[in-house]
Amino acid sequence: MTIELKRALYNISALADLGKEITSEKDFGDKIQSVLYVIMGTFLANRGAIFWYEKEKRKIIPIARRGFDRKGSPKLKIRLGHVLPMKKNEPYSLADGEGTAAFHQFRDGVVQTGAEIFVPLWVRDEFIGLIVLSRKFTSASYSPEDFELLKVIANQIAITINHHMLFMDLSRQLDENKRLYEQMRRIYHDTIQAFAAAIDAKDVYTRNHSQRVAKYSVAIARELGWEESDVEGIYIAGFLHDVGKLIISNELLNKKEALTDRELLELRRHPALSYKILSKIKFPWKNVVTMVKHHHERLDGRGYPSALMAQDLDEGVKILTLADSFDAMTSERAYRDKLDLREALVEVKRCLDTQFDGKIVAAFCRVLEKEIRGDLPEPNILPHLGNDFDPTVITGLLEALIRELSV
Amino acid sequence: MKATNFKVISRLAGDVVVLYPQGYLNNLAGESLVSKCNSYLSQGIKKVVLNFSGTDFINSIGISLLLHIMEGLKEGGGVLCFTNLSKVHSDTFEMLGLTNHMLVFGDEEEAFRYFDSGSSS
Repeated sequence: MTIELKRALYNISALADLGKEITSEKDFGDKIQSVLYVIMGTFLANRGAIFWYEKEKRKIIPIARRGFDRKGSPKLKIRLGHVLPMKKNEPYSLADGEGTAAFHQFRDGVVQTGAEIFVPLWVRDEFIGLIVLSRKFTSASYSPEDFELLKVIANQIAITINHHMLFMDLSRQLDENKRLYEQMRRIYHDTIQAFAAAIDAKDVYTRNHSQRVAKYSVAIARELGWEESDVEGIYIAGFLHDVGKLIISNELLNKKEALTDRELLELRRHPALSYKILSKIKFPWKNVVTMVKHHHERLDGRGYPSALMAQDLDEGVKILTLADSFDAMTSERAYRDKLDLREALVEVKRCLDTQFDGKIVAAFCRVLEKEIRGDLPEPNILPHLGNDFDPTVITGLLEALIRELSV
Repeated sequence: MKATNFKVISRLAGDVVVLYPQGYLNNLAGESLVSKCNSYLSQGIKKVVLNFSGTDFINSIGISLLLHIMEGLKEGGGVLCFTNLSKVHSDTFEMLGLTNHMLVFGDEEEAFRYFDSGSSS
């Protein structure tokens, strides 16, 4: 085999090495460092570097290098003005440079670093970066064949770096979109909370009721293994479930005496009114409006506004119903004193299968038990119930209820 | 091509260190050979034998790493001997014109004899 043929085979295998590195799933830094080694090994350069052009900063920055960073040797700095006059993806040798003043200035600035070959990397009309190589280890000159091969390699590397830059741009854009989405989400939540505060403020006895219903609902939904996006949906439904009360008069909401039939009918309009108000909004979460509309339905069909039966009520409605009723039981009302925790749990048990679903009650009891045991880092229910209960008694009650419901 | 885990075993014999690259010298893992060599050089060990009996494959990345070692030893005033090169590797080094810049021996014994003869100093 002639030396030329052996050399050609070596070059082909170097191109194969390049392809393997470019298409590898390595981290970009390792990929470019490997690519640099392929080039240096192919041309026997003892120093080499690959730079990329940071458009925003208008600077040419090294992304892989070897040998040019030796102690005591001058730092290799390349300026855009040096590179742009060079031909796209064509190797440029200091040894063959034209004798212009600009060239001499450039050569004088880099010659001490050992740099000899420069290949500006372009993709179409976009400047991407630069390959810099030193002289060969063997002191041989770069041949015209070397330059041809370097051109092929430069094209491949330019495309690789360009792809990475596009990917980085997309990632940055994605991060920015995520940040904006989070900002909008926070504003949305704050608005809804402010709105809920306005609802609760109408009735002096229901201050923070919407917030508590939202939190209780979230705790139960999480215990049932809901997806986080659905949990967020029920959180919003909890905050807005009483929005229809904005249309009910303050006198009626705060009346201490027993309500007349007509007043009761008026008050019971609020879920349907809530639905009417919220159905105009396109929520990004499913079932928010349905949950709000039916939060006063019962399993036995005696609820309102639609008197639906158990099988027609979805899990979200059943959760919101329990959360709303439990908070009503444990809060002071115009017409009655609040129940303590034990009394409220007895009441929940009494209303099992008529008003409350066993699966939802069991989940609620499990969360409460975990919160009493201190198993949950951020309790949602316990902080709103005060300390006026005996944890041993309540835990016993909860365990008995969970046992009963698991049969 | 099957990927192998590259590692370097070393043995100190007097003022000579023998390095045994094990596996394919074809990726960034080979940088450990360069750093091992530099580490001995910084400890004042300037006679290095690279025994390639455990290296089946060297590609362009491997050549580049060997150039770093050769350049480092040259700058640090060290002497590097290559031993146990397969025919493929010898042919490649010759074709690249590197053999004019390398000390190549059949095995470690020959390299040690060279060091003992004082030719390296």
